[in-house]
Amino acid sequence: MGYIQKKRVAAKLRDFHRTVKRNNGHIGTAPRIIDLSYDNRCNFHCQHCFTNAPKGVNAEKHIPLEKLAGIADEADELGFYEFDLQGGELLIDPELFFRLTETIGTERFYTYLTTNGYFLDEKMSKRLASAGIDRVSVSVDGMDAHQHDAFRGKKGAYDRAIRALEYVRDAGMEACMNITVGHYNIFSDELRRQLAFCSEKGFSSVLNAAVPAGCWKGQYEVMLTEEDRRHLGELRKEFPNATRDIWNPFDRNQEALLGCNAGNILYITPWGDVLPCPFLHIKVGNVYVLSLKEILDRAFSISWFSEYSEKCLAGEDEVFVRNFLSGDITTENPAELMELFGTKGTV
Amino acid sequence: MTNREKYENAFSEALGIEPAQAKGLEYQGIQEWDSIGHMELVSALEDAFGIEMETDDIVDFSSYDKGIEILSKYGVVI
Repeated sequence: MGYIQKKRVAAKLRDFHRTVKRNNGHIGTAPRIIDLSYDNRCNFHCQHCFTNAPKGVNAEKHIPLEKLAGIADEADELGFYEFDLQGGELLIDPELFFRLTETIGTERFYTYLTTNGYFLDEKMSKRLASAGIDRVSVSVDGMDAHQHDAFRGKKGAYDRAIRALEYVRDAGMEACMNITVGHYNIFSDELRRQLAFCSEKGFSSVLNAAVPAGCWKGQYEVMLTEEDRRHLGELRKEFPNATRDIWNPFDRNQEALLGCNAGNILYITPWGDVLPCPFLHIKVGNVYVLSLKEILDRAFSISWFSEYSEKCLAGEDEVFVRNFLSGDITTENPAELMELFGTKGTV
Repeated sequence: MTNREKYENAFSEALGIEPAQAKGLEYQGIQEWDSIGHMELVSALEDAFGIEMETDDIVDFSSYDKGIEILSKYGVVI
């Protein structure tokens, strides 16, 4: 599958491409991804969970489907071309999940499911493909099954994750391994082996920068340094199937940067709060109070988000993290945008 | 430069291949011609011929040969 199989996605991707081209290869304020955390029910006990799903926090909260239909309509009109459905673990309740895909209208978005893969068998992968899912993303912590299972708090998690990705690939969807990279593993042989494994298997991989939040709160040493970022650039050239949101996907030389996607991504919590990315726990607005357009405008009124940043603010910019993310904030208790930045960060 | 040369140069520029390799190519037939490369190709063709392709044509542009047929709709004869 690709972006151009769906006509509406092709049209929006073309607009995005034009905007980026006009903006010297930078993302600017172009809408890109809606990350919807539908609910927080989960069968795993991941040590680093930033939504506190293992504790059952907010497990029963969710935005009603009628409300989500309107949000998806507006996201489409604004030009968002990717829609990421995540939890918790959404395949706990597959019938609800497929009602969700019908509600948002998968034909309008490059739609992906972020899952732990535990419930994803061959039959389910075919059903996902039929429902218009383009990509399935599964987080995998290295190449050691025991370590992955221990970290995820579930025996058999690793084997099921890899099998799930194989089923997804075989069903014709993009099988994507989410890999967290930080100062602690960027030069490791294991990371290189993991990326090579993805290439051999026909999986793509998304590299997410480790952020000093959740269980890593205050641990700035996990963040990528300048030297680490240079090395990531080398890995990008060596493994073209690996991507990061911050990298310019249109650059065949595998060098150019779009810039941090904060604000270009809107992460919506089960209770309607909107954050400028899943890892920046800053409340830009709430979908019960403001339209997506108003929320987007609020986000881009902050120069940190509207202006080009060559660093991922959450995982690479220590100055930003120390200044704005060091308080006692979580997805459930995010910082308020204007209280945090005041007029200092306003364009 | 002939239109054929401009056409093949657009493939070369967008997909990072030699112009001579363009003939006979199909969408997703090589790693470089994925959906992202496709957008670069459309953009390169629009710049080369001063046209603006409709979304239906972007979606239908499935091969080197099909592209020639589509461009004829815009008065570009390869």
